[in-house]
Amino acid sequence: MSKVIYRKFERHSHGEGIKGMSTHYCPGCGHGLAHKYLANAIEEAGVQERTVTVSPVGCSVFLFYYMDTGNTQAAHGRAPAVAVAHKLANPNAVVVAYQGDGDLGSIGIAEIISAAQQGIPITVIFINNAIYGMTGGQMAPTTLMAQKTSTSPHGRDRLMGEPMKIAELMAQLDGTVYVERVALFNSKERIKAQKAISKAIRLQVEGKGFAFVEVLAECPTHLHISPRETQKWVAEKMVPIFPLGVKKDVEKDPWFSLPAPNFDTQQMSKVIGASSEAEPRYAKGFPSHIAASDIAFKLAGSGGDGAQTAALLLTYAAIVEGFDATHIPSYGPESRGGTSYADVHIAKDEVLSPSAPSPHILIAFNTPSMVKFAPQVVAGGTVVYDSGVIKEIPKLNANVRAYGVPFTEIALSLGKAVVKNIVALGALQAATNLFPPETFLNAVRISLKEKCAMIPVNEEAFQRGVKSCQETGAKK
Amino acid sequence: MAPTKERPKPFLIPKYCKGCGRCIEACPQNCIMLGKDIQPETGLTPVILNLEKCTGCGMCIVACPEPYGLAPSPLKADYELTDPAAMFGPRASDAPEPKEIPDKTIPLPQLKPMVLKGTYASTIGALLAGCRHFFGYPITPSTEGAELMAKLLPDLNGVFMQAVSEVATINHMYGCGGAGLRSMTFTSSPGFSLMVEGISYMIGSEVPGLIVNVMRGGPGLGNIGPEQADIKLACQGLGHGNTHCIVFTPSTPQEMLDLTMLAFDLGFKYRNPVIILCDGYLGQMTGMVKLPDHMLQPGIPAWAVYGDNMHRRNLINSIILSEQDLEKHNEHLNQKYATIEANEQRADLFHCEDAEVLVIACNIPARMSKGAVQVLRSQGVKAGLFRPITLWPFPIKLLKPLLSHVNRLVVVEASNCQLENELRLALSHAGAGHVRIDHLQHYGGILPQQQEIVDTVKTKA
Repeated sequence: MSKVIYRKFERHSHGEGIKGMSTHYCPGCGHGLAHKYLANAIEEAGVQERTVTVSPVGCSVFLFYYMDTGNTQAAHGRAPAVAVAHKLANPNAVVVAYQGDGDLGSIGIAEIISAAQQGIPITVIFINNAIYGMTGGQMAPTTLMAQKTSTSPHGRDRLMGEPMKIAELMAQLDGTVYVERVALFNSKERIKAQKAISKAIRLQVEGKGFAFVEVLAECPTHLHISPRETQKWVAEKMVPIFPLGVKKDVEKDPWFSLPAPNFDTQQMSKVIGASSEAEPRYAKGFPSHIAASDIAFKLAGSGGDGAQTAALLLTYAAIVEGFDATHIPSYGPESRGGTSYADVHIAKDEVLSPSAPSPHILIAFNTPSMVKFAPQVVAGGTVVYDSGVIKEIPKLNANVRAYGVPFTEIALSLGKAVVKNIVALGALQAATNLFPPETFLNAVRISLKEKCAMIPVNEEAFQRGVKSCQETGAKK
Repeated sequence: MAPTKERPKPFLIPKYCKGCGRCIEACPQNCIMLGKDIQPETGLTPVILNLEKCTGCGMCIVACPEPYGLAPSPLKADYELTDPAAMFGPRASDAPEPKEIPDKTIPLPQLKPMVLKGTYASTIGALLAGCRHFFGYPITPSTEGAELMAKLLPDLNGVFMQAVSEVATINHMYGCGGAGLRSMTFTSSPGFSLMVEGISYMIGSEVPGLIVNVMRGGPGLGNIGPEQADIKLACQGLGHGNTHCIVFTPSTPQEMLDLTMLAFDLGFKYRNPVIILCDGYLGQMTGMVKLPDHMLQPGIPAWAVYGDNMHRRNLINSIILSEQDLEKHNEHLNQKYATIEANEQRADLFHCEDAEVLVIACNIPARMSKGAVQVLRSQGVKAGLFRPITLWPFPIKLLKPLLSHVNRLVVVEASNCQLENELRLALSHAGAGHVRIDHLQHYGGILPQQQEIVDTVKTKA
């Protein structure tokens, strides 16, 4: 007896009476054999101590009664997803997912296909007995044509589709290294089944890939025939539809390994981009000449105008200066082209509502943005816009000043259309004196610290924005 | 193959034979026959062995599906022996008693605040909390969190996996959490719906894991605007059965980080998944985030199925067939829920101490509500903001004492009564259901604005 089978089945009715050493399977069922061969394979490979067996839903849901390994019981169809995660959690573990035909071929078809395509080395044992056992003899994806079940009482017909050839399907997928279909109905096939399951475990232990063994098994209870007749039925009826043999066996070098997770503090700081260096502050205080304690901005343009980047720079600059700030982008389909707008708040102490339906300041990159948002700017507010693109100013609230600066033209003259948002920030600075220029330039430099070559053109863009705005002045 | 003397013949303890007869054809010498006597213990008819011609080929043993059915006869024993201990030895499992490998807290140098969007803050919180496994399926407006994980995890030797669906995602988390490791996902409302079955399994099997749900407009595909559409699902509808998770409702990027770290700690403390509900705005919103003074290197809990010998004895499982045992398991879960309700209620109280009217709001609507309360105070209205940080358990212990001076509650939410229903349920259980409740609601991606809240508090007074 394999030592991978528990000596006493404590989980089977608390191991009491005959259940302590007897499976819950019906006489003639194929599961017991598959369990036994699996246990033998694990023992042979010497990996009992590091094996995790994933039990499915269906008759073999209680695989964990028997296997003296780590055990996880998965939801219906999800054993491959659970098994892959066990392997990723501990690459040294040997992980076996054991599934029946309803579990693997129907409800869990997405999980098994994606796991097999991905090819992380786990071992899948697939029991095909052409019927749902646990739920009481309903049609399985592998039920044969004309086979009567409780949900195909007149026999499986074309409306229900043909039986699904899972092993052949698995062999098509790139991640599998070994796929074989075996059977249990005579000594010769049983020896082959044992060997196939052993090989499927061994390939995982060697880190070579995803191995899959389909086992044609007997369910005499739901075929309503004797165990011995069921073996004959499998040999005569199932095998012609589900031909036995190796479907795929490719030689691959061991490839699967994962490094141990890193918990080094320096690496952590580097990865998340955290730093201990204090940023310089340039502002003398909160720009209360714009609003007493909370300034609302809207930055609006087309996707690609850089409104979001400018909004983030503005937010960052304010936070470095010691204020609270927030940025909310418009997002989703409308941010994939079309209008893109951002709401920013800068508050002396705390930003409350992060949205800006009535901004103090608008930066508009195109005409639709100008038309939509400029009238919302509060009385006494400021509009900064791309005067090369926007030719008309809509009706504004009282005392709103509008500053036209050709963002795009200036950016193009610098040879980089993408810096038009930085031109806009320069114009914003000159128009509002929100913060000193150094505050913005510092934010720009930090955001470009990994693209240092871009810093000079961005600085130039900012300065040109400042200058142009100063020269042009506000239109009333 | 010539028989040799060393090859043991089979023996059988009849009560472990179900009489399937696979061994009968397997025997080349026809030593095995169908039996006639019914076993009183099983009601089944075992086969009969007549081993005179047996060569010890072992094919019958290979054919026997029962682990303690046909087995090689021990030396010097005869097959009529019926004592399992004598035949199979007294060996129980030799798996050791599992022990906990404790977490390590690692101090961090003082780091300056970062400027992060909500999902990014949660991502960084998870990394600091020791999460190195992320599973997810892209869905707006939560995806940026997954994208940042995909970018950062490889540099920490972590694993990012884009799952085939949200259903697979939650089951990856079930596997990884069952292995004792910290895993998480970002999702949004429709994805969260797909996950609830798996969450029920996680709760039943006591598997921790963090689900950050960046809620969007519903029902159905709805839209991607900010809603608080999943409060009901997270607080009262986590799949089938007797289920609860701690449900956090942050309202700033800072809380996204802080509560993500706390969520992992509490998830493992209680062996239960944890849910963070934020709305689409908070997920997308950038703000200042201060970093903690430590990070965590998680150990492995004693209960985990890690895939090593230390944890071999363990089982992660939610199927419990016996009614008595399943009732006991539910009682155990109930005790856990009661402990969480006693210890983990959290809320932020703003001007509550002397308030006569309390605005109740969470997530981004709580920020507008805070502004509204400031305006109301400046106008002489004794208003306060009660902001639940946990929605399950609802922080009723913090709310109830305020009801001595509060005569009205105004619930402000971006959903149809989902927050209000949690409040009413908690009040009712606490015997405080008499207080007047008004509300201001928006749906579909529209959030209540400050002035509306002010107006609601004033006009309904």
